[in-house]
Amino acid sequence: MLGVRNLHKSFGSNEVLKGVDFTINDGEVVAVIGPSGSGKTTFLRCLSFLEKANSGEYIFDDLDKDITKITRKEIKALRMKMGFVFQNFNLFRNMTAIKNVTEGLTVVRKIPEDQARVKAETLLDKVGMLDHANYYPDELSGGQQQRAAIARALANDPEVVMFDEPTSALDPELIGEVLSVMTKLAEEGTTMIVVTHEMNFAADVADRIVFMENGRVVEEGPSEEVLKNPKEEATKRFLRRILEHDE
Amino acid sequence: MFVINERLWQILISSLPKLLIPFLTISLKITVLTFIFGTLLAMLIAIVQIAEVPILKQLARAYIWIFRSTPLLLQLWIIFFGLPTLGFKFSGFTAAVIAYSMNEAAYNAEIIRSSILAVPEGQIEAGYMVGMNYFQIMTRVVLPQAARIAFPPMFNSLIALVKDTSLASSVTVIEMMAVARQIAARYYEPFALYCETGLIYLVVCTLLTKLQSYLEGRLVWKSTDNHPSITSGNKAQEAA
Ligand SMILES: Nc1ncnc2c1ncn2[C@@H]1O[C@H](COP(=O)(O)OP(=O)(O)O)[C@@H](O)[C@H]1O
Ligand SMILES: [Mg+2]
Repeated sequence: MLGVRNLHKSFGSNEVLKGVDFTINDGEVVAVIGPSGSGKTTFLRCLSFLEKANSGEYIFDDLDKDITKITRKEIKALRMKMGFVFQNFNLFRNMTAIKNVTEGLTVVRKIPEDQARVKAETLLDKVGMLDHANYYPDELSGGQQQRAAIARALANDPEVVMFDEPTSALDPELIGEVLSVMTKLAEEGTTMIVVTHEMNFAADVADRIVFMENGRVVEEGPSEEVLKNPKEEATKRFLRRILEHDE
Repeated sequence: MFVINERLWQILISSLPKLLIPFLTISLKITVLTFIFGTLLAMLIAIVQIAEVPILKQLARAYIWIFRSTPLLLQLWIIFFGLPTLGFKFSGFTAAVIAYSMNEAAYNAEIIRSSILAVPEGQIEAGYMVGMNYFQIMTRVVLPQAARIAFPPMFNSLIALVKDTSLASSVTVIEMMAVARQIAARYYEPFALYCETGLIYLVVCTLLTKLQSYLEGRLVWKSTDNHPSITSGNKAQEAA
């Protein structure tokens, strides 16, 4: 289980997260939606310590601590239990797809190369990238890179995987292959936090939707409920706009 | 009018080894030594800046400022003619290697620094998210990528260095230019001799430029096993 209470984050005088409360339980898939600039990326980055929060409580399994007091060592240990999928993939450009997956296993966890390869091949197979295992990122399409990045994020058997708009940098015809990999992971019971504008994915795959606006969680609930019967005016406005846009 | 007669041919042909030997044993030796020392020093100067080491960072900036804002010839003369006044005496060859290395370090430090900074932040963040520490990210992700970015400008500065070794003749080093001057004076044929010398620089620098394109092509991250059809020539174009 991962969660935060009263999470605050400012960039200078710009307060981007204004007291976010959030929890995700094991096996749950949560879609985070909301207008651009509402703080979704910053939220995921605070959860993974890529950004330093100003205040809040951080909960991960048995750990429950002031987020500003978490040590570097704890951060490293926590990151080993999470996977992060970036909007721009961020595959290591100087490494092949399979090396991207084995790198953390061999360098950080000191797993022997051959064992790491076996594991990486299983993961690349799962995301449909086994036949491209020896290609470098520059030789792969965006969809292929993102699928390899997902395999890399799964290498440590993470307890939770975060996705920051994993398909928004992709050409439309490549979105489907990434979403179908994510759907498969969800069906296998992977705990996932997915920031997305793909409403069909949120509706079909997510158990719960969190709607953020202006640094706050404005509304949350089971996917169906939030999409069909939004309670808040802001949610209705956002959904109306995004659905119009889709047509 | 200038004509190449029998006598001149003889002079040019007999001069060729006399020019090539100092070129290979002195000029290229200075180049290689300078490139090694200059690059090592450049790495230090770049790293103290990137790691923001307090006082060393300011010293590095001052160093770069001074060595890039004064002529190389002046730096060479200060080390060879000036430093003996303070009790530091070097041979011309040593003075040249010191001056060139210090000068090269200033330029290469900027190349290395900007190449490291050119590696996208996302690469570093991805490293952190797979559990790596700063040192692991630097050595396994950032520096290999920075090396590729730094390669073309570093190689350019190496080629410039080959030509700059000619300045060493002004501090008693008998390198190729000094020899050319001696021969030219002996036969009263400065035009022919300096053209011949120029031709040697031209050939060597052209070969180095070819080597550069070839190596740049090899440096592209491509799974050649998967693309037997891609030749290194094509790859060099893609890299450009
Ligand atoms: N590194 C940063 N420095 C300064 N401001 C930032 C930084 N990252 C994000 N912001 C600001 O935080 C706000 C929220 O951004 P972001 O979390 O990216 O929103 P979203 O992902 O929902 O589009 C924006 O106003 C953005 O300008
Ligand atoms: Mg975002």
